[in-house]
Amino acid sequence: MTTSNNKIINKKDLKKMFWRSLSMEYSWHYERQMHMGFCHMINDGLKKIYKDKPEELSKALQRHMEFFNITAALAPFVGGITLAMEEMNANDPDFDTSSINSVKAALMGPLSGIGDSLLLGTLRILAVGIGASLSMQGNPLGPIIFLLVFNVPCFILRWFCSTKAYELGANYLSKLQASGMMEKFMLAAAILGAIVIGGMTKELVSISTPLTLGSGESATTIQSILDSLLPGMLGLFATGIYYKLLEKKVNVIWVLLGTALIGILGAWTGILG
Amino acid sequence: MTIVHALLLGALAFIGKLDLATGTSMISRPIVLGPLVGLVLGNFEAGVKIGATLELAFLGQYSVGAYIPPNVIVGGILGTAFAITTGKGADIAFTMAFPIAMLMQIIDNLLFSIVRPMLAKVADRYAEQGNPGGIDRIHFACGLITCTALFIVTAAGYALGSAHIQAFVDAIPEVITKGLSIACGILPALGFAMLARMVMSGKVLPFFFLGFAVAAYFGLPIVAIAVLGVLLVAIMMNNYGFASPQAEAIVEVEDDDF
Repeated sequence: MTTSNNKIINKKDLKKMFWRSLSMEYSWHYERQMHMGFCHMINDGLKKIYKDKPEELSKALQRHMEFFNITAALAPFVGGITLAMEEMNANDPDFDTSSINSVKAALMGPLSGIGDSLLLGTLRILAVGIGASLSMQGNPLGPIIFLLVFNVPCFILRWFCSTKAYELGANYLSKLQASGMMEKFMLAAAILGAIVIGGMTKELVSISTPLTLGSGESATTIQSILDSLLPGMLGLFATGIYYKLLEKKVNVIWVLLGTALIGILGAWTGILG
Repeated sequence: MTIVHALLLGALAFIGKLDLATGTSMISRPIVLGPLVGLVLGNFEAGVKIGATLELAFLGQYSVGAYIPPNVIVGGILGTAFAITTGKGADIAFTMAFPIAMLMQIIDNLLFSIVRPMLAKVADRYAEQGNPGGIDRIHFACGLITCTALFIVTAAGYALGSAHIQAFVDAIPEVITKGLSIACGILPALGFAMLARMVMSGKVLPFFFLGFAVAAYFGLPIVAIAVLGVLLVAIMMNNYGFASPQAEAIVEVEDDDF
């Protein structure tokens, strides 16, 4: 069995990942959010890892076209860990590739939570506070200070994530491999990934109905009845339906158009809102 | 002169959106674009002040998660521009800019819920072919389409004026705009279903429901759910021999039913 000592990714590749991470949110959309940004970020690394294995490269690219969302500055952290895992996969035929996306999911949820509140919730407010108070007096330094206060810490953090995460991931993985704990780790990753995906599904999918039962004072909304059973139930239901449709290999183009149609019909009939 | 100004303001909108191509650098914010609008219209100092006022108005409306506010770039640029050209206060100017920002939001919803997901399907095909360069091109095309739309809406909005755009927005049936925003709320479910198909086997499915249930019933944020998840996994792994060879054998019998 080969070990992970066959390091393929070097410092130069990680620098490249830093630059490629800058457009993380440029192609954001509702369905899979930053997935193309993520794939773009690690493309070069994947190309290098699967240099003479076009089939493996194709599978890896498809893996990273799945849902991704994170506070943008922290994206290279997940990118570095991912490259370490992909490298391990290239060296170890027994590697369970689904654990790569499990680890990504387990990281993106909590890192987004922490990143959004620290960078967007706190640092940005601080930057606006300082910048706007100067700008209000007509001082042209306002916007410049605003940009510096926000971006200097963010870019330092992004650089740190880009250069350190891969090493962290690679060291941890080779330790796991040496101690024979890899299977345990993959199972743990799968469980944690599933928990976080469940939580994110509740948080990011939003469907509700304005329908009411009864009239006048005694009217209750159907939404409040659903919420008393399980808040976010309709979102869970939609996820289940999509899952089944994907299983039946229904073309995603039709699924997308169908969703738009359901939205419009829902608005027209007043069932959804 | 109006046409030249309109084109320059459109170009500012295009540049502002490059925010997301330059590390989410906040160059899309009114506090940054306002002074540039001031430069274009020949009143730099007013641009600096009005930009800051609108920045504070937009504060707390930064799109976090799946929520997108009425377009901050169009609102910021045209709000500042109208304030300078009419000489009225920032609030009246922003009210004038609002219908145009609304129009951009409708276009955004269309791009984010239908156009980009469809382009993503093209990128999926490149992934199957093992063509990373193709994915990169789609990625940037998605962004440039939005930049271009911003250029057109901002320039047209400035040149035609608020009333014309308002009439145009009013002509779009409400069912369409409302229906699209409903679809935007549903669509992440498709992304999660795809992800679930890739990473989840029948054996870990209960953990998906566990995460969902904890978020639903206790309203816990994802960070808290992840911490509890780590603790749960640690307890399982250390105390109950969960990953003993027998248990692993069971786990490997996967079934894909949802």
